[in-house]
Amino acid sequence: MRLVVVMPFAMLALAGCQREERSLRLDPPVEAGLDEVRVMSNGIGGAPPKVYVALGRPYENNAFDLDQGKRLYDWFGCTGCHAHGGGNTGPAFLDGWWQYGADPVSIFVSIRDGRTAGMPAFGRYLTTEQIWQLTGYVQTIGAYSAKTAAPSRNDEMQSRPSENRAPATLGALQPPSR
Amino acid sequence: MLERDTLQSVFPLGAAAALARRRDQVTSMGELHRHPQVIRFAAKLRGLTLVGVLAASSALAQSDPGAQLSASTSFSALDEIGAGNVQRLTGGPVFATGRFGGQAGAPSAAGDLVYIETGFPNAIFALELAQASPSVAWSYAPEPDGRARGLSCCGRTEFGPVLSGAKLYANTLDGRTVALDRRSGNKFWETKLADLSNGETLASPPVVADGKVLVGNAGDEFGARGWIAALDAESGRILWRQFSTGPDAEIGIGPSFSPFDPRDRGTDRGVATWPPSAWQHGGGSVSGRIIYDPELRLVFHGTGRAAPWDAQERPGANRWTSGLFARDPETGQARWFVAFGARDPYARGGVAQDVLLDAPWKGSARKLLLHPDGNGFLYVVDRVSGEMLAADPFTHTDASPEPAGPGAVAGPVPSPDENVVVRDICPAWSGATGAGSPAFSPRTGLLYLPVSRLCMDFEPRHASYLAGTPFIGANIKVKPPKDGTSGALVAWDVQARKAAWSMNEPFPLAGGVLATAGDLVLYGTLDGMIKARDARDGKLLWSFAATDGIIAQPATFNSSNGHQYLAVMTGLGGGFGIAERNMLDPLDQSAGLGLAAALSRLPTLRERSATLYLFRLP
Amino acid sequence: MRPRLKALLGAACALPGASCVGWQSTLSPQGPHAESLLRLIFAFAIVCALVWILVVAMLAGALMRRRRISREPLASRPREERRLGMLVGAATAATVVVITGLTVLSFVATRGLEASHDDALKLRMRGYQWWWEVTYLDPRPDRIFLTANEIHVPIGRPVEIELSAADVIHSFWVPSLAGKKDLIPGRDNAITFTATRPGVYRGQCAEFCGLQHAHMAFLVIAEPPEAFDGWRRAQLTDASAQTTSEEERGRGVFTQKACAACHTVRGTSASGSLGPDLTHVASRRYIAAGLLESTRGSFAAWIADPETLKPGSNMPNVPLTSDDLRDVSAFMASLK
Repeated sequence: MRLVVVMPFAMLALAGCQREERSLRLDPPVEAGLDEVRVMSNGIGGAPPKVYVALGRPYENNAFDLDQGKRLYDWFGCTGCHAHGGGNTGPAFLDGWWQYGADPVSIFVSIRDGRTAGMPAFGRYLTTEQIWQLTGYVQTIGAYSAKTAAPSRNDEMQSRPSENRAPATLGALQPPSR
Repeated sequence: MLERDTLQSVFPLGAAAALARRRDQVTSMGELHRHPQVIRFAAKLRGLTLVGVLAASSALAQSDPGAQLSASTSFSALDEIGAGNVQRLTGGPVFATGRFGGQAGAPSAAGDLVYIETGFPNAIFALELAQASPSVAWSYAPEPDGRARGLSCCGRTEFGPVLSGAKLYANTLDGRTVALDRRSGNKFWETKLADLSNGETLASPPVVADGKVLVGNAGDEFGARGWIAALDAESGRILWRQFSTGPDAEIGIGPSFSPFDPRDRGTDRGVATWPPSAWQHGGGSVSGRIIYDPELRLVFHGTGRAAPWDAQERPGANRWTSGLFARDPETGQARWFVAFGARDPYARGGVAQDVLLDAPWKGSARKLLLHPDGNGFLYVVDRVSGEMLAADPFTHTDASPEPAGPGAVAGPVPSPDENVVVRDICPAWSGATGAGSPAFSPRTGLLYLPVSRLCMDFEPRHASYLAGTPFIGANIKVKPPKDGTSGALVAWDVQARKAAWSMNEPFPLAGGVLATAGDLVLYGTLDGMIKARDARDGKLLWSFAATDGIIAQPATFNSSNGHQYLAVMTGLGGGFGIAERNMLDPLDQSAGLGLAAALSRLPTLRERSATLYLFRLP
Repeated sequence: MRPRLKALLGAACALPGASCVGWQSTLSPQGPHAESLLRLIFAFAIVCALVWILVVAMLAGALMRRRRISREPLASRPREERRLGMLVGAATAATVVVITGLTVLSFVATRGLEASHDDALKLRMRGYQWWWEVTYLDPRPDRIFLTANEIHVPIGRPVEIELSAADVIHSFWVPSLAGKKDLIPGRDNAITFTATRPGVYRGQCAEFCGLQHAHMAFLVIAEPPEAFDGWRRAQLTDASAQTTSEEERGRGVFTQKACAACHTVRGTSASGSLGPDLTHVASRRYIAAGLLESTRGSFAAWIADPETLKPGSNMPNVPLTSDDLRDVSAFMASLK
C-alpha cells in the first residue's frame, strides 16, 4: 500500500531530472547538410537547410548551443566591430534594425561568407555547427527576439543591467548616467 | 541601414548628379585670381624664432599660391581676416559632396582650384572657384573595395589631397596611393600599398618629400604591423618600406640609428621586446601625419599603439610602437626614436601630430619637435638628436612621467589584469589629443591644442589573432569627466611650459586647429560650430552653426583679388562621430569602443552630405 | 580460518600499497614539499589512530565494565564524582593538547610551502575546460613561451607557479610533488614546489570542473638542469622545418583551415590563441590533456573526431578529407 503512494512521487521526481538535450557531436553528414542554406539572390533571407528544420531548429532555442554561440562571439573578436550589440565599425544588433534582416539564414550567410561592406568571411575559421551556434546567439541580441541567452558582457561595465534582465524602460531615450 | 543604401542611390558616384542636386546651395563666390604669395615666413616674437618648416606643401610653396598653410605648425600667414573684422565674415555652404561619412580632410587650394577628398569612398573633387558659382572642374572616383569600410576602425581617418608640382597625390582607404594631374584629374599612376586581408588600410594623407611620396598604414586595431613606405613621385614605384616591429633590417635600423635612450640601442629590439613571434601582429601603424623637415632632411612619424590592447598578452617594452621615429627619406633608415609611454596599456598610441619649431630652449637655440601625446603630456624633443627635453601634462591625466626619464607611464595601473575593470582612467583610449592637428602661432608663442577630456573604464580581455579581424582585446566604457565638459582648447605657452589659457568645450575637439597671422584660432566642433577665438586670450570672436558636425581642420587661402577665404569641411565621422554615422546603440556602453554612449548627446545629423563651407569678408 | 585471514590482510595492505608506487602518489614524495606533507599526513594519521584506539578502548571498557546500580540514586558520592570530573577534565585537556599540537604541526609544515625563492623558476598555469595552459615567465619577454599540459622543471630548483582559471574553478594537484591548490577565476593563487629526483609525475585537476574533468591531466617532468635548459632552448625556437612533402602539405591545410584560428604554430601564419600552443606539440608526451599519447595515429584520431574522444571539448570536428587528415597528422607529428 505504501509503495503505491511512494511510487508516483518517485516517478514525478525522476521526470524532473529530464534536462535539455545537448548535442555535443554532429554526424558529419548532418553537419554537411547544415551548410546547405539557400539564400535569396539579394543576400537577404532564404530557406534554411532541411536538416536544420528536421533537427527542430536547435540553434535558436537550445540553451547549450546559445551558450556556445556566446562563447564564440567573445572568442572570435565579434566585439571588435559590433561591441556587445551596440556596434562599432560594424552595425548595432540591439536595435534590431538589421541590414540583411533577422532571418537566421541571412545571419548564417553573413558570418560564413562575409558581406561587401566590411564583414569578413568566417567560414574559413569556424565549422558549420559553430556558425549556426553563433547565428542563434546573435539573433538573441536583437530587439525583437526572445532573450533566451545571457548577454555576452558583464553588467559592471554598463550603466544598467543587461537588457534581458532590465525593467522594461525606454533606456535608449534616457541620457546615459555616468 | 536602409537609409544608408537609399543615400547611395540618391548620391551615386560621380560629381555631376550630386552637384546638380546641390546647385541651389552654391553661393556666389566672386572671382578668384592667382595671387602668388610666398609661404615661407620667419617671425620673431617674444624671443621665439620660427621657421616654417614645410612638409607636404614645400614644393608647392614656390609654385602654388593658394596654400598658405605650414603643414608643420598649422599656421597661416594670412592676416586679412583678423580679430578686428572676423565678426563680419559672410558665407556658407557652397558645395555638397554627396558623400555620407566622416570628412576629416581639409580642402587644399591652389590657383583657382580647391581640392577635396571625401571620406570613404574617397572621391576627389576639384572645384573651380573662378566663376560666379563654384563648379566641379573634374572629379575622380577611385571605386574602393567595400571591405575597407569595415576596417576603418577606431582612429583618425584623415584624407586630403596633397599637391606637388603638377600632381595631386591622395590615399584611398582601401590601400592605394594615386597620383593625378592637378589640372585635368587624369591618373598618372596608382600603387596598391596596403593589404586589406591583413586589416591594413591607409587612413592618413601622403606626404611629398624630396621627390618621394611617403605613405604610412593604419590597422593596428587589426594587428597589422605598422609601416611607412616611400614611392617614387614620378612613377609610383615602391622605393623602400620600413616596419614598426620586427628585426632591425625590416625597421631600417642600422649604423646611423642612435636613440637618445641608451636602453633602445641594442640589436633587434623590435623582436627582443616582444614574446616570441608576437611582433608579427604587434601593430604600431603609421596612421598619423608624417612630417618632412627639408632643412635637416628628416621625416618624422609617430607609431601607433601596440596590438592587442590587452597588455598582458604582450609583456615587454614592445618596441617600436607608441613612439616617434626620425628617418632619412632617402633610404628610410631610422635616425632616432623616442617612446612616449611604457607599454601603452591604455592604447593611446603615438600618432598625434607634431609641431616643428626652432626656438631657444634653456638659453640656447634648438630645433625642437613638440609632440602633444594622447596620454595628456606635451613632449618637447630635440629633433636633431632625439633627446627628450621636457614632458608636461597639458590636461588632466593619470599618466605620470617615469622616474628615470620623461617618458610617461600609462595610468593608474601600469599593467591591468585580464578581466579586471580599471575605472576612471583619464584620458580615454581615444587620447587627450591626437584626432586633430594642433596649431602654433609664432605671433603669440602659443601652441593651440584641441583636447578631449574623456575618461574611461577599461577591462582587458583575451584576444586571439585572426588576420583581417579586430585584434583589440578590451571592453571599454568611455565617459565624460565629472564636470561634463568633454573638450577644451588649450593654449600652451611653450617657453613657460604651462597653459596660458584654456577654453572648455561641451564635446571633444576632434578636428584640427588653425592659427592665422590675424591672431585668430579657428576650429570646428562635433556639434557643427565653426569658431574663431582671439589667439591672445581665447575670447570667442565669431561662430557659425553648420548643419553637420566637423572633424576636419579649417583651411584658409587667398584669392587673387587679395581676399582671404576661410574654408571648412563638415561631415561628422571618424572615431568620435561613429555613433551617429553607424547608428550605434548607446544602450550598450561599450558600443563604438565606448564612445557611443559618451557622446550620445551629440545632436542628430541634419545634413547627410559632407559639405564645403566658404567664408570671406564682404 | 588462518589462510583466509592472511589473504584478507594481504589485500588490505595491497590497497594503499598500490598508490605507493607509480607517478601520482602522495605516499611517494619526490621533493621536500611533498615530503613535509607526507610527514604531516603520517603524524596526523598516527595521532588520530592513537586517539581513535584510545577512545574505542575506553568505550569498550566502559561497555564491558558494568557499573553497579546504586540503591540510592540521589545520594551524593563526592569521591566518585571528583574522580569522574577529573577524568573528563583530563580527556578535554588531552583533546585540546592534541588539537593544538596538530595545528602547530600543520602550521609549521605548510608555512614552508609558501616561502618565496629568488632563484625560483617562475611559471604561470591557467586552467581551461579542459586543459592547462603553461607560460614560462622570464624577465626578457622574448624568452617567454607557451606550452600546454606538460611542464618541465629542473631538479633541485624551486618552482613557483602562478595559478589562474579562465572559466570555472580548477585545482592543481601533483601528488608526488606538492599539495593541492585551486585555480579560481578572477583570483591569483600560487604554489611552490621542488623536485629532487628526476622523473615524470602526473598531475590532475582536483576540482570537478565539468564533463571532462577526468581528462584534465598534465605531466611534470623533472630533469637535470642541463637537460631542462636544453628543453627550454628548444621550446623557444620556432616550429621545425617540414621535411617531407606530406608535412609541407599538412602545414598548408593547418594554416588554411579552421586549425589556425585557435592554435599557434610559431614560424607559420597560425597565430590563434584560443587553444593550446602547438609549436612543439609532438615533443609533449600526451595530447588533449593526458587523453592520448602523442603519436601520429593519435593526432589523426583526435583531429578526425575530438567530440567522440572527449565529448564536450571545445575542439570542434573540422571536416577534412582523408588526404588532408593524413597530411595534417604528419605535420603535427613533425612538430617536435
